Amino acid sequence: MVIASQLWQPFQEFVFMRRALLGGLVLACSTAPLGVFLILRRMSLIGDAVAHGILPGAALGFWFAGLSLPALTLGGLGAGLSMAGLSAWITRRTGLREDASLAAIYPISLASGILILGMAGKRLDLLHLLFGSALAVDSQTLTGMLWVTGFSMLLMAVIYRPLLLDTLDPLFLRSVSRLGPLAHGLFLTLVVLNLVIGFQAIGALMVVGLMMLPAIASRFWSRRLPVLILISAAIGCASVWLGLLLSFYYSLPSGPAIVLVAGCGYALSVIFGPVHGLLRRPPLLSSQ
Amino acid sequence: MISCLGLTWGVPGQPLTPALNMNLAKGSLTAVIGANGCGKSSLLKVIAGLQKPLSGKVLLDVPRRGNVAFMPQQQFMDRQFPISLQELVAAGFWGKNQTAQQRSDKLNAVLTDWHLDGLEHRPLMALSGGELQRSLLARLCLADAPLLLLDEPHAALDELGQELLWQHIQTWQTEGRTLVVVCHDLTAVRKHIPQALLIKSSGTVLAPTMQLINPSQVA
Repeated sequence: MVIASQLWQPFQEFVFMRRALLGGLVLACSTAPLGVFLILRRMSLIGDAVAHGILPGAALGFWFAGLSLPALTLGGLGAGLSMAGLSAWITRRTGLREDASLAAIYPISLASGILILGMAGKRLDLLHLLFGSALAVDSQTLTGMLWVTGFSMLLMAVIYRPLLLDTLDPLFLRSVSRLGPLAHGLFLTLVVLNLVIGFQAIGALMVVGLMMLPAIASRFWSRRLPVLILISAAIGCASVWLGLLLSFYYSLPSGPAIVLVAGCGYALSVIFGPVHGLLRRPPLLSSQ
Repeated sequence: MISCLGLTWGVPGQPLTPALNMNLAKGSLTAVIGANGCGKSSLLKVIAGLQKPLSGKVLLDVPRRGNVAFMPQQQFMDRQFPISLQELVAAGFWGKNQTAQQRSDKLNAVLTDWHLDGLEHRPLMALSGGELQRSLLARLCLADAPLLLLDEPHAALDELGQELLWQHIQTWQTEGRTLVVVCHDLTAVRKHIPQALLIKSSGTVLAPTMQLINPSQVA
């Protein structure tokens, strides 16, 4: 019973732990479908590019407005979207491979973010921006997270079918409906929005882990899309909860603790997952 | 049904053929043949409105959306996609106003029609190439469009599947639908399709199949 109470007690006792938990849980639920669809669309790396892209925007927001939530959010949103858009535009216009174009965006964004923070002079902790601090989620940030994640889940439910068909068979969808590109655009916007709102809680780079690791892990547990999304959300929520506890009891940074728990979930899934996990026979042929 | 006016297509600056002018009548059945890379699939996409022509235009009698069913080559489909055969086929209902009962009846009918009974809940990953191809054809049936554009529908089908395909193509034509079919199998084209569009870089010829394909080419 000692163990059971230890699992709850920090959240009962401390408001900042409750806020961190609630924020993390809603974030895990709203990033789950995004991560799953990013993988299905073969865009797993977009999240990384956007997360790096957020940095210079958030740094600019900080420079001009200080540590204000709307300024950081708007700056991050604008920069994240334009970095993702810029990379897609270069690919389309020049034929540069998509992964190369994204890889070019990472260092540029990261370096300019750090440079701007340096020029801003004041001490916004770079580590805070990169890796966040779930324990510093104040009630304003939490309210923002609840709105954004609620909106995001609702919009995902609305665009679910066109997005599904656009992912599986875009040519077919385009022959029967004009919703494909719209669904794609809204989806990308939601990805950026979630990364921006998440970076204030667990950091720009860590939120990508919370988005992608559970989604990739879920692939080893089911072959049905709705189930994949639910499993991914469950793994994400469990990671947030366990990660926060680890961070509380062992004084670890919360963002990395959450992401590493999700990483353990991924490793266990790769090994034990019933859908082509390492211990299952027959293994998936590499030709597929 | 389909009018091509001074149509060229391909990559910018390198049209695949001289400008194409042709009319395909409503209810006609036309094969598109030619060597690999001559632009058969691209022509189909241009007609479907999925790819922009380099010059000229394609006019259709009917609005494109909802009236053109395009069946892409199946190798472009992600076989690991986590949905079942039934969900893939049911996508053909897109934009159709029907009750759940009507949908389920129709769905069962096309699944039986294409010999897919019992496979409804199979994930795409576990389907054979022929089963996937028949699912795509079943989806096409549900889409119920007056103009059908098929890119190598016979690929991956076994003998029974091919027979099923040609039967359906005949039925579709007698129902008054217009069909354009990209097909490599010249024997089958000669046997089942009355006219063919031969695409060559020197020019494009629309003629009865019997004239275009000599028995010697087939053998």
